[in-house]
Amino acid sequence: MISGFIFRALEGKIIVAIAVLLGIAVLVPALNLMTAPDSALHIPTYVMSLFGKYLCYALLALALDLVWGYCGILSLGHGAFFALGGYAMGMYLMRQIGPRGVYGNPVLPDFMVFLNYKELPWFWYGMDWFVVAMAMVLLVPGLLAFVFGWFAFRSRVNGVYLSIITQAMTYALMLAFFRNDMGFGGNNGLTDFKDILGFQVQADGTRAVLFALSAVVLALCLLISSAIVRSKFGKVLVGVRDAESRVRFLGFRVENIKLFTFVVSAMMAGIAGALFVPQVGIINPGEFAPANSIEIVVWTAVGGRGTLIGPIIGAVLVNAGKSFFTGAFPEFWLYALGSLFIFVTRFLPRGIVGTVQHGFKARDAMRAAADAEKGRGDIGTVAQTVQAAE
Amino acid sequence: MAFTAKLGGALLAAVMSTSALSSAYAADTIKVGVLHSLSGTMAISETTLKDVMLMLIEEQNKKGGLLGKKLEAVVVDPASDWPLFAEKARQLISKDKVAAVFGCWTSSSRKSVLPVFEELNSILFYPVQYEGEESSRNIFYTGAAPNQQAIPAVDYLAETEGVKRWVLEGTDYVYPQTTNKILKAYLMSKGVAESDILINYTPFGFSDWQTEVSKIKSFGSAGKKTAVVSTINGDANVPFYKELGNQGIKAKDIPVVAFSVGEEELAGLDTKPLVGHLAAWNYFQSVDAPVNAEFIKEWKAYTKNPKRVTNDPMEAAYIGFNAWVKAVEAAGTTDTDKVLDSIIGVSVPNLSGGYSTVMPNHHITKPVLIGEIQADGQFDIVQQTAQVVGDEWSDYLPDSKNLISDWRKPMACGNFNVASGKCGGKGM
Amino acid sequence: MQDNKLLRAFWLILILSFSVSAPCFAQSGADPKPLIDALAKADFSEAERLIGEIALTGDVRAVPALEAFSEGDLYVRKADGLVFIGKAGDDGLELIEPITGVSAGPAPKSALTKIKINNNLRRVISSAAGGLTLLSPDRSVRLSAANAVLSSPSAENLDLVETALAKETDPEVKARMTEARAVSVLSSDRSVDDKRDAIRTIKTIGGNDALSILSAVSGSIDASLKGDLDAALAALQSKQKLWDMAQNVWYGLSLGSVLLLAAIGLAITFGVMGIINMAHGEMVMLGAYSTFMVQDLIRDHAPGLFDWSLTIALPVAFLVTGAVGLVIERAVIRFLYGRPLETLLATWGVSLILQQTIRSIFGPTNQEVGNPSWMSGSFPVGGMTITWNRMWIIVFSLTIFFTLLVVMKKSAYGLSMRAVTQNRRMASSMGIRTPWVDALTFALGSGIAGIAGVALSQIDNVSPNLGQSYIIDSFMVVVFGGVGNLWGTLVGALSLGVLNKFLEPSVGAVLGKILVLVLIILFIQKRPRGLFALKGRAVEA
Repeated sequence: MISGFIFRALEGKIIVAIAVLLGIAVLVPALNLMTAPDSALHIPTYVMSLFGKYLCYALLALALDLVWGYCGILSLGHGAFFALGGYAMGMYLMRQIGPRGVYGNPVLPDFMVFLNYKELPWFWYGMDWFVVAMAMVLLVPGLLAFVFGWFAFRSRVNGVYLSIITQAMTYALMLAFFRNDMGFGGNNGLTDFKDILGFQVQADGTRAVLFALSAVVLALCLLISSAIVRSKFGKVLVGVRDAESRVRFLGFRVENIKLFTFVVSAMMAGIAGALFVPQVGIINPGEFAPANSIEIVVWTAVGGRGTLIGPIIGAVLVNAGKSFFTGAFPEFWLYALGSLFIFVTRFLPRGIVGTVQHGFKARDAMRAAADAEKGRGDIGTVAQTVQAAE
Repeated sequence: MAFTAKLGGALLAAVMSTSALSSAYAADTIKVGVLHSLSGTMAISETTLKDVMLMLIEEQNKKGGLLGKKLEAVVVDPASDWPLFAEKARQLISKDKVAAVFGCWTSSSRKSVLPVFEELNSILFYPVQYEGEESSRNIFYTGAAPNQQAIPAVDYLAETEGVKRWVLEGTDYVYPQTTNKILKAYLMSKGVAESDILINYTPFGFSDWQTEVSKIKSFGSAGKKTAVVSTINGDANVPFYKELGNQGIKAKDIPVVAFSVGEEELAGLDTKPLVGHLAAWNYFQSVDAPVNAEFIKEWKAYTKNPKRVTNDPMEAAYIGFNAWVKAVEAAGTTDTDKVLDSIIGVSVPNLSGGYSTVMPNHHITKPVLIGEIQADGQFDIVQQTAQVVGDEWSDYLPDSKNLISDWRKPMACGNFNVASGKCGGKGM
Repeated sequence: MQDNKLLRAFWLILILSFSVSAPCFAQSGADPKPLIDALAKADFSEAERLIGEIALTGDVRAVPALEAFSEGDLYVRKADGLVFIGKAGDDGLELIEPITGVSAGPAPKSALTKIKINNNLRRVISSAAGGLTLLSPDRSVRLSAANAVLSSPSAENLDLVETALAKETDPEVKARMTEARAVSVLSSDRSVDDKRDAIRTIKTIGGNDALSILSAVSGSIDASLKGDLDAALAALQSKQKLWDMAQNVWYGLSLGSVLLLAAIGLAITFGVMGIINMAHGEMVMLGAYSTFMVQDLIRDHAPGLFDWSLTIALPVAFLVTGAVGLVIERAVIRFLYGRPLETLLATWGVSLILQQTIRSIFGPTNQEVGNPSWMSGSFPVGGMTITWNRMWIIVFSLTIFFTLLVVMKKSAYGLSMRAVTQNRRMASSMGIRTPWVDALTFALGSGIAGIAGVALSQIDNVSPNLGQSYIIDSFMVVVFGGVGNLWGTLVGALSLGVLNKFLEPSVGAVLGKILVLVLIILFIQKRPRGLFALKGRAVEA
């Protein structure tokens, strides 16, 4: 079976990747804070917070990989979990502003003041405590994923149908959060954060800590994901991905397996959102846009789904490309992105990491498999293609 | 595997080397950042402003540049993505070392970059009409505040057309919501009954207006003169006006006054059924002034398109740019703090034939023009007010009526409370 | 002097009473010409007064000038301050003397100043011109005059209307004039009985117009009439409520037909072929831009053909988008069959490239696509208004749907297409050239999306973002209806449309849309394969 093979191959890599992440977590902030700005080794704050953002996206892609790459659930709504985590963090940060807002209202955030809110909506209570807010970062996306997954997996909604309704979910949430009456600041979202746990959000030190935290959390989530997929449970997971009916007939409760993975993944996405918000300084309903969720899928696909490390590399690469193109060749950004999607699906269906792993031999096998697949006549999953190739 | 580490390292190096490269030749030019979306949903409006900025910078260079140096535009694309706005703003200021940034369209994008500009102490000129309720040390708002657009328009309808019943139709986001709150308070202070005001919201990019238009029709059949005040956002306007035209709502019966519909939006429409509907802006292409004629000529020549139109945000960008140039000349440097000091009180010609002055609250003075849509897609100006000072804190919202903003020393405060005499909102 | 003034007042009274008893026009001593020339220097309120005076002259020759004023075609010659009607000529304006209608030769635009007009003046003019033209020999002029009086009633016009009514023979015009008279009676000082009759007449007009007229006077009307008025209002309102229901159904069907149009191409590429075609919206957009191109060419080269522009655009759009679809299929999608989720990524990439290409070529702003005359305006059906463009779009989308159904079920090509999608290998061994069928099917789906774009260009923005706004809705429709079933798409689209339009008035457009999405999600839980699920093993991928 491929699964065992992949796991054995990955074992060493996970350790290296975690080491690299931890190294970055120490080195980058150190280079930022301790070197002189004109030194060759200096990493400007701008670059550091940029990479901090990429790390959050990498965590998000990792979360998606867990459900898509290992469980075969293509969620086109993972942006929603990310945004919800972000909103939970944003609400905490808003409450921390306190009387420093433009209207000087100690309780109500600015947008509530000028929209004539008389008191804090109930769901804002407790969000001024860091612990509560952090719990919400996990609970809200987790709960949404649980409720959504509970119904969807029990009803055996799968494949394309599931993808489309996850998209409907994030779209509905986007429309809802755009409404001012929701009490989340409408389209302007939550901004103008002052401090987090008493530290100034904008200060270089805080940024360095946030960066380091992003890297550490990513390493941690990588470890957890790796543990999940390498356990016995992980083997069943891959089984669900590749032949759901067979696993079910073997006596496994497929819906529970899916639900567990989906909830864990949603929580990871929520954490990514929570780390993202203080580093970019804004959360607004744009994050719920279905296009954003599709982009996450693209990062994962580019890096290589079902590889854990692939999505991280994919997310960083695509976003670095985005930063570069939108600065250097603004007009060509969409051409580059579009071509990348086509190129990857056409020539690197395993993604970068997957392709590098298997070398040219695997690529040839893939082609043969694709041809064989086409000839076979029924709609098979990618997994089956891979299976055929092995 | 080691390639992960290598890849990450290479990437870091690549980003750092590009940043090093671009700052190497910065010495003999003054860089100006242009932060407008060139892709995504907002590109439709913002691309024009990027072109205007490039034209203005080119013109300035023809006149010999600024402080003896050439201006150099740094154009980036935030791709209608709000966090990307913040990232690009940071890039422009820290990496490209621009002297000032001209950009943003939506309030969300401005809110996204505001902390960046305050933290890195740079200047942003924001050229679009907005809901007010903000005053930052580092931002200049050259578009209209609600009192420079909405209130004069409502006054015009009430006085000239005798409107007694109001439909406030908007897209569900912050600008329409705030504007409508202000308008409702204003109308009620003028004695309009609450039952004579209908507020309705639709989602972004809404395209099926049948129900809303027929609602307007039946609301308008209560026997009192009715008008629609539209804060409908860009994309949704074309289908809205098409539906109005087709359902036969004539400006004679129920006039619609819009705050986000200008010449550019009308360019995508057959305006014959819309003749007489109104818009309120601080500038129309049809303004009869030599300075405007010249601007239009330059613009058409620059874009090499004799059909290109001009609009209000373009004028706001024009005023903002010229005010900055004048302030830099007066300060003799592009240093942010010095320019912030010298720009207040600067007067530059606007395109409606008068002068606009940068006020201590970082808003500007300009006249309010009410125009009626013509069959050729232009506006016929039916009323022009005297200069109006942009009011950042609305007098019609309970929590902001006591606030003022004055960035001159020694006050240097964006939210001074006149009741408590302290800076900082309610002044706890 | 004193005498003179008195004399003039006497004359005025005489004239007025004369015009009431026998309005044979040009009877007043006052010549409208100086009044029209006075417009040159008048501000809005002065102009309003002058128009009133022009109306009082009863001189029908003033009407062209008034109408030109309303259209914004009245100019002042800077040289001598005289007022002319200006019609756009070869260079500058072709001047026409107001009153006499004699041509005064061309003049450059710079030598003239346009006289400003606003909505209020347009209303005054339409009422004045209505009064002046009630006795016109031309039937259509009389009809529009009656309509003008109806929409801007004034007690002053009452006598005129009654005179005209007495002479009128045409039944339609007569009915209109009766209504116009009734409206004017209500605001006059006629007797209570007259007014009661008037209320009854207005009630027969029905709809919002009648409601509007009656509620306008409800504050000022005589107390003894209050009962009649309220009864009439109540009757009108309850009737209107029923019509509103019908109207909602109609709006729902109309929205549903738009959804159907947007989704029908996707029902083929996604539903039948299993490609998650994210570039579908861009095909719709390309269709809309084809329409724009066709109209642009027609405007420049054959303006007379404008009403045919959509008919011409249909095959053009079909071929353009079909060809683009063919290229996409051959270049990208054919390598991805059997991997539906990867087609999602690739076609998303294609959609980004197409969007940016269109943006580079045409610019990011909206392009103007005009409505041909047969798609403009509306007609009343009872108490509801039906717009022509919506009606044609319903007809059009159903036509496409049934044509497609026939092609799929009855033609040889449809047979091979179904064979290929159901069992590719078997179809191939039966001698069907499966790659060609794939390519043609994708091209067909894209082509249909293209002609949907032609129709959507009539109601929506034509901008590079056009496709993005329909893609999610289209997927919802196909999934809701059941993938692979055309009937499902039809029922899905229409029911989502109607549902949306019934939710909208009560909860608002934003919440309505959210609720529809939530309902779709819940519905999919109940029926995981949509309304009309395909049966059999083939779907259990």
